[in-house]
Amino acid sequence: MNKAVPSRSLFLFRWVKRNIQKNLNSIAVVLGFFLFWEAAVWAFDIPQFILPAPSTALSHLLVPRTDANYRWWYHISSTVLAISLSFAITSTVGILIAIALAWSKRLKEIVLPAFVFINSLPIIAIAPIILLWMGYGVLTNMVIAFLVGFFPVVINTITGLEAVDEDLLDLVRYLHASKLQVFLKIRIPNALPYIFSGLKICSTMSIVGAIVGEFIASDRGLGYIIINAQYSMNTPPIFSSLILISLAGALLYTIVSLLERFIMPWTALEAEP
Amino acid sequence: MKLLLRRVGYFILFLLCWQVAVMVLGIKEFIIPSPLKTLSHIFHPALAAKYQWPIHIRATLLEIALSFLITAVAGNLVALTISWSKTLKALITPIIVFFNSLPKIALAPLFLLWFGYGLLPNTLIAVLVAFFPIVINTATGLEQVEEDLLDLVRYLGATKGQIFVKIKIPNALPYIFSGFKISATMCVVGSIVGEFIASDKGLGYLLKDAQAFIDTPTMFACLLLISLLGILLFGVLSLLEAKVLYWMPQASSGGGR
Repeated sequence: MNKAVPSRSLFLFRWVKRNIQKNLNSIAVVLGFFLFWEAAVWAFDIPQFILPAPSTALSHLLVPRTDANYRWWYHISSTVLAISLSFAITSTVGILIAIALAWSKRLKEIVLPAFVFINSLPIIAIAPIILLWMGYGVLTNMVIAFLVGFFPVVINTITGLEAVDEDLLDLVRYLHASKLQVFLKIRIPNALPYIFSGLKICSTMSIVGAIVGEFIASDRGLGYIIINAQYSMNTPPIFSSLILISLAGALLYTIVSLLERFIMPWTALEAEP
Repeated sequence: MKLLLRRVGYFILFLLCWQVAVMVLGIKEFIIPSPLKTLSHIFHPALAAKYQWPIHIRATLLEIALSFLITAVAGNLVALTISWSKTLKALITPIIVFFNSLPKIALAPLFLLWFGYGLLPNTLIAVLVAFFPIVINTATGLEQVEEDLLDLVRYLGATKGQIFVKIKIPNALPYIFSGFKISATMCVVGSIVGEFIASDKGLGYLLKDAQAFIDTPTMFACLLLISLLGILLFGVLSLLEAKVLYWMPQASSGGGR
């Protein structure tokens, strides 16, 4: 056990280092974009309420202010709680339901077309109805995030569970594999890449759902700050919140990617040129 | 066709169960209205006059259609540019990938601050949300060409323009349509969220407004109409896809968002 710990942290370090090296160009371009923005704001003297410089937005986060003081930690914790819980619940429930649907052909035949249909609808439009039913709060935002993120996970997972080589299934059936064995040893491992691509979609969707929920009605959270600051034309906190929301998104995405690397180490080998 | 009929059958069965459940269990209409009640809020002359459906439908439809046209044209142009020039590709691609990973809908209030209420900000929000999937899909499609084929036509003296017009673009069409379908939903989402946040007309506005009055049947009616607009755009795109890509064995499915 003692040995495993350093190797795992080393693994993390190497993973980060490799990813930075691989994306050096992209990082440079994105950094350049922010520098250009900063320079343009100073050079053209753009008013702060129209477009604040990135540094102004950062300073609103880091330096305590006397005017328009937001309790950042209070709002950050609320949004992060909504995003992370809804992501965890959505992915677990989504994968389990997908497995149940793939298990029973009859159930799948009825439910899956409905799911595919619902997935093509703008689900976010249901948000005000959820709000009406459940009132304000973090739970409401989590339910909205769940509804938005649920269908991509289910559809991706089912696609993966079904995309199995028929010959392989014939072979193991001939060898008297039970249905459970087929799922555990063939279908679920086969579905892993699909599941992770579903989880990545779901990570973005959880954020969208939570933020839109906070937009529509909430008394806390980063989405609330954005709306609140919009009313008072106080633009820098909007950008500060956007930075934080993007960071939360990047963090969640990175966690899913790391998990993917841990669970499917063989995909990294295939990705090497 | 038989399969489709069965699915429609299930759907009607679902609506019937809903209607019966609401009537038998005595569910209050402000919690869940029955399907018939919902429809009556659209078609009953007195109620229809009160809610002025045509104004709201026209506003939302205009936003969706405009934003879709803008994204479709601009997205494909950007993808073509990226694919045409290696330098521009190295410069633009990281920014596009970066923005694509952001929850762009969070920018919506900013657009309202910049452009005021109405058609313009809502259309721009929808464009922002729907733009990147199209660029990424089309750019992917333009790259997915068999290298041997390219070598062959280069050997035959094909110009870069010819390669794009005769090989790369036809080859990218399935990807382009799959991008269109993803962005069709996104355009609806963007327009509606814009209307949620601040607007004086549109189905999203009416939905939010009805919520304040706990007028649930109207909310369900809005939801129905929004879904219908989404399905309409999706259906038009599928038809167009079947016409343009007649050689494909089957219409490709959207493949997730």
